[in-house]
Amino acid sequence: MIDVLVAPFDRPYMTRALVEALLLGALCGAVGVYVLLRRLAFLTDAVTHTVFPGVVVGFLVSGRSGIVPGALVCAVAAAALFTAIAATRRVNEDATLAVLLTAFFAVGVILISRQHSYTADLTAFLFGHVLTIDTADIVVTAAVTVLAGLVLLGMGKELLLRAFDPEWARAAGYRITALDLVSNMLIALVVVASVQAVGTVLVIAMLVVPAATARLLSARLGVILAVAVFVGMVGAWLGLATSYEASVGHDLRLAAGATIVLVLVAFYALVTLGQATRRLVRR
Amino acid sequence: MSRPAAIVFDQASIAYGRVPALEQVHGTVRQGEIVALVGPNGAGKSTLIKALLGLVPVASGSITVLGRPPAQARRLVAYVPQADTLDPDFPISVAQVVLMGRYRRIGWLRPPGRADRDAAAEALAAVGLADRAADRFGTLSGGQRQRVLLARAIAAQPEALLLDEPFNGVDAVSQEALLATIKTLAAGGAAVVVSTHDLGLAQLTCDGICLLNRHQFGFGPPADVLTPDLLRAAYGGAALELGDRGLIVARS
Repeated sequence: MIDVLVAPFDRPYMTRALVEALLLGALCGAVGVYVLLRRLAFLTDAVTHTVFPGVVVGFLVSGRSGIVPGALVCAVAAAALFTAIAATRRVNEDATLAVLLTAFFAVGVILISRQHSYTADLTAFLFGHVLTIDTADIVVTAAVTVLAGLVLLGMGKELLLRAFDPEWARAAGYRITALDLVSNMLIALVVVASVQAVGTVLVIAMLVVPAATARLLSARLGVILAVAVFVGMVGAWLGLATSYEASVGHDLRLAAGATIVLVLVAFYALVTLGQATRRLVRR
Repeated sequence: MSRPAAIVFDQASIAYGRVPALEQVHGTVRQGEIVALVGPNGAGKSTLIKALLGLVPVASGSITVLGRPPAQARRLVAYVPQADTLDPDFPISVAQVVLMGRYRRIGWLRPPGRADRDAAAEALAAVGLADRAADRFGTLSGGQRQRVLLARAIAAQPEALLLDEPFNGVDAVSQEALLATIKTLAAGGAAVVVSTHDLGLAQLTCDGICLLNRHQFGFGPPADVLTPDLLRAAYGGAALELGDRGLIVARS
C-alpha cells in the first residue's frame, strides 16, 4: 500500500508533478478559505473562464511558454473588471459575470477551434496536464504560493473584516474596493498558477472543495485554514498516486487532474456522510 | 457647564442622488451626551447615521464630527450596526469580532498584540460577556450578539459612538447591559447617538432627542421634543398616547 503511494514518484516527471500538485493543494486550500468566506465561488468560476482565451492566445503566439503570460494578462484584466463591476452596485452582478464569462469562453473556443490539433489542445487547456509540468511551471506556482502567503499574513485581518462586516469596514475607513481588488487579483493569480497542471475548469474544485470540507469539520478559522491546506495537499498526492497506479498497474487511464479533483470530492462526501451518520446515531 | 460640542448639524440635508432622504437637520451633540434619533420607519434615522460616518454625502448645509468632516473623523468614531445584518454561520469567534475594533489602531501588516487582546477582553467584560469569548459569534442570542458589537466599538476607544437600532428584538437582560455600557461610555466623555423606535426608552435614558421624519421636527431635551403636538406631526397621525408616569407609547 505504502509502495503505491511512494514508488511512482521516483520518476522525475512524477516528482515534478507531485511538487506542483502539493504546492497547488496548499495554495488553493488557503486561498479557497477566503473564497468560501466571501462566497466568491461564482466569481472564481468567472475568472477561470475569462482566463481561457488568454491561455489560447498565449499558446498561439508563442507556444507553451506563452500560456502563463497570456493567462496572466487576462486574469489581471478580469480581476480589475470584476472589482469595478462590483463597486458600481448598479448592475446585477451575477448576470453581468455570467455574460462576461460565457463571452470570453466562447472567444477562447473559437480561437482554439481554428487549430489542427483542436481536441488535444482544448483538453489540455481545460483539464491541464500535470504529468508534463516543467521546472518553470513549478517556479511560477511557488512564486504565487509565496505571494499568497504574504498577502494572507499581511492583510489577513483586513480581509477577514471585509468578509464578515463590509459596512462596518467602510465605516471604519477601509476602502472595500481596494481590498476586493487585492483578493480578486490573488484569486486570478491562483487560477493562472493552476492552468498548466489542472486546467481552467478543474481549478475551481481545487479552491472550493478543500475549504468546504474544512468548514464541515470546524467553525474555527485557524483550524479551517490548516485543514483546508492539509486536505488540498493530501488530495493532490493521493489523486496523483491513484491515477498513476490505475494507468500503469491496471491499464485504466485516469486523467491526473480530474483524479485529484475526484479524491477531494470523495473527502468532502466522506465527511458529509460521517456527520450525517453521527447525527442519526445521536438521536 | 456647557461641554464642548462633539457633533454639529448645521441645516444638513442628505440625498441619495437627486432624491432627498432627510432635510434640515440642525442641532448639537455635546461630549458626554446621549442623543436619540427617533421617528417612524423610513424616517431617515439610518441615513443620518450613515451621514455621520461619511458613507452618504451631505447635499447641503454641513455635519461636523469632532471638528472635522465626517469622513475624516472615522478613526475617532465607532459604529454599532444591527446584529441581525451579520451572517450567523460565519466561522468567527466572539473574541475575534471584538478584536476587529482594534484593527485601525494596529494598522496594516501587523498582527494584534498583547495590548490589543487585553483591550478587547476588557471591552467584552464591560458588556458582561467575558465568559463567551471563545464561542462562535453566531451561537449567541440576538441580544448577546448586539452586546458583542458594542464591545467591538468600545475596543476602538472612540470619542463618538453611533448605534443603529441596538434595542430591536433584544431581551431585557441584554437591553439593560447595553444601556449600562452606553451610559458608562457617555460618562467617560464620549458623545453617543442612538437610533431607536422605543420612545419611552429614549425619553428615560437620553439627554437629547432628534425627532425625524424626512425632515427634523425637533432637536433638544426630551421634555421639549417629545410633546404630543410634535409627535403627532412627525408620526403623521399614528396613534400616540401618554401612558403611566408620562411615558409615551407609540402605536404604528
